[in-house]
Amino acid sequence: MKKLLPYLLVSPYLLHVAVFVAFPVVFSVVLTFHSWNIISPMQYVGLANYERLFNDRLFWQAIWNTLRFLMVHIPLQILLALMLAELLNRTVRGASFFRAAFFLPVIVSGVVVTILWQQLLSFNSGIINRMLTAISLPRVAWLDDPAVAMYSIAVMATWKNVGLYVILFLVGLQSVPEQYYEAADMEGATSWQKFRFITLPIINPTIFTVVVLSTISGFSLFIEPYIMTEGGPMNTTLSAVMYIYKQAFQYYHMGYSATLGFCFALIILFVVVIQKRYVEQEV
Amino acid sequence: MAEVLLKHISKAYAGGPTVIRDISIDVKDREFVVLVGPSGCGKSTLLRMIAGLEDITNGDLLLDGQRINDRAPKDRDIAMVFQNYALYPHMTVYENMAFGLKLRNMPKDEIRQRVTRAAQILEIESLLDRKPKDMSGGQRQRVAIGRAIVRNPKVFLFDEPLSNLDAKLRGQTRIELQKLHRDLQATMIYVTHDQVEAMTLGDRIVVLRNGDVMQHDTPLALYNQPANRFVAGFIGSPPMNFLPGRIVADGTALRFESAGGAVSIRLNGSVHQQALAAYAGRAVELGIRAEHLTDQPMNRQRSYFSPEQLIVFDAVERMGSETLAYFILEGQRFVARLSGDSTVDTSVGVSTFWDIDKAHFFDADTEQTIR
Repeated sequence: MKKLLPYLLVSPYLLHVAVFVAFPVVFSVVLTFHSWNIISPMQYVGLANYERLFNDRLFWQAIWNTLRFLMVHIPLQILLALMLAELLNRTVRGASFFRAAFFLPVIVSGVVVTILWQQLLSFNSGIINRMLTAISLPRVAWLDDPAVAMYSIAVMATWKNVGLYVILFLVGLQSVPEQYYEAADMEGATSWQKFRFITLPIINPTIFTVVVLSTISGFSLFIEPYIMTEGGPMNTTLSAVMYIYKQAFQYYHMGYSATLGFCFALIILFVVVIQKRYVEQEV
Repeated sequence: MAEVLLKHISKAYAGGPTVIRDISIDVKDREFVVLVGPSGCGKSTLLRMIAGLEDITNGDLLLDGQRINDRAPKDRDIAMVFQNYALYPHMTVYENMAFGLKLRNMPKDEIRQRVTRAAQILEIESLLDRKPKDMSGGQRQRVAIGRAIVRNPKVFLFDEPLSNLDAKLRGQTRIELQKLHRDLQATMIYVTHDQVEAMTLGDRIVVLRNGDVMQHDTPLALYNQPANRFVAGFIGSPPMNFLPGRIVADGTALRFESAGGAVSIRLNGSVHQQALAAYAGRAVELGIRAEHLTDQPMNRQRSYFSPEQLIVFDAVERMGSETLAYFILEGQRFVARLSGDSTVDTSVGVSTFWDIDKAHFFDADTEQTIR
């Protein structure tokens, strides 16, 4: 009994891991070697799914779309979050109001935010285009121009998530002892030099955390294009996750979808490992 | 030349209390001045005002005759060593020391020269490639001082630089700081709450309390001629013994009578007689240092006061070089400093001898020394 008790105590957690983590992972790996449409029994197809993946231009376009999204979304998000955090870290009046205001979009449902932005970005009736016309600039097809659509989504996703990273950066900034800045004042550092040579290196671990978190959350881009553009125009906003979803639940290519997901997970892992090497280096 | 002059300096926070009240101090060229006082006395604030990290509400701060109230910290030619060292954790020792010079766009060769020279003085050449987290407290302390030295400033400020070191290292560093002051020939202003540090380091000491200067003098003057009861009790270890009482005049006889009546000291013929005559009938407080309370009169030439009541020590600390014997008299804790080979013990009554000429009397109302 004494020997069993520890196992008994951790069993709920183990059960959870087994059902919701271990089994799905193993099952999806098994799936990648099969063809399955949920209704008929699985058929073993060997490496056929992988072969198909490498020749699937749409998948690689989805990956490229996602990377294009990340290239705008991550730098924008980090810069904006850092700037806002730096501003909020000073004793400004109403700082707690702004903190709450920036954080609000994070807790609002993604669907709601997306629909809201759909209105804002609408070609004919959107406020943004109306403002542009008001100052006699041409209207922009924010969501319908293949060259623009993904970046519009990147900006919107930044607006939605930036509050979370503002909070993370605020914690980071507040952990920098005031004496470092006073010492730098005595040494003659300007505000920018203090930021560049003291703040940035010291909050580097926070930056790394934010980069990884926003990369991972950015890779899972789905709701925004799914609702706003359905992957269009010309598949330019088709994200990798959205493509995987379509393969599974529109075409019922469960085996192929699992293969895509598996491959996509490896790509994310690869990117994060590279980030770790370059971003975390300085600490 | 680096002379710092504080003229009627005061500091008040907006809508808050006044933390520094009308302080005037002159720090002469190459002088080592220590600001000492209990926590909250304003000593650090004063130092930070000299550094330029706090605004001066009123008064003038002069460096070599020039008013520098409104100059940015970096333009004051003053370096400061912080209590927690404030070494940048992501930089090596070399980078930490070179940082300020780099910001001033000094040529690389000269930076290297200066850092190497400072590292030699402080004997930290082998640490130059280390980061702060890989060093002991004492080593970090040296680097923090090194960062100040490389700039070759007119004035060095130290904000409790030894308070994070253990007792042994503190003693060692104290001696090195003295040597450093001699070698650098620089003006130094040093803040501490530790009166031992103040006594051993300062050419002159400023004792502060609640934003006021209590006394500003050399260590020995503070020790031997404290201006008031606060300085008397603050400076010296073990602290001075105090006994409240009053001056009684009976014809020509002048006496100090303790409040509880256990001690009655004849003052006729003592050095205090003249000053205390004016206090007849008034409340005063007697202060006497531990070394002026002995179990045997060491100097036969002098007249000692010896209370009739035998003293029973309740604790005896044998240090080897001396013996500290504690007792309670009229509710006051007393300590006597006896010779190292003294055989006194607790729970045995002993006669004590008080060197009254070395004692001090304080006005009970103003707490000022009666002279």
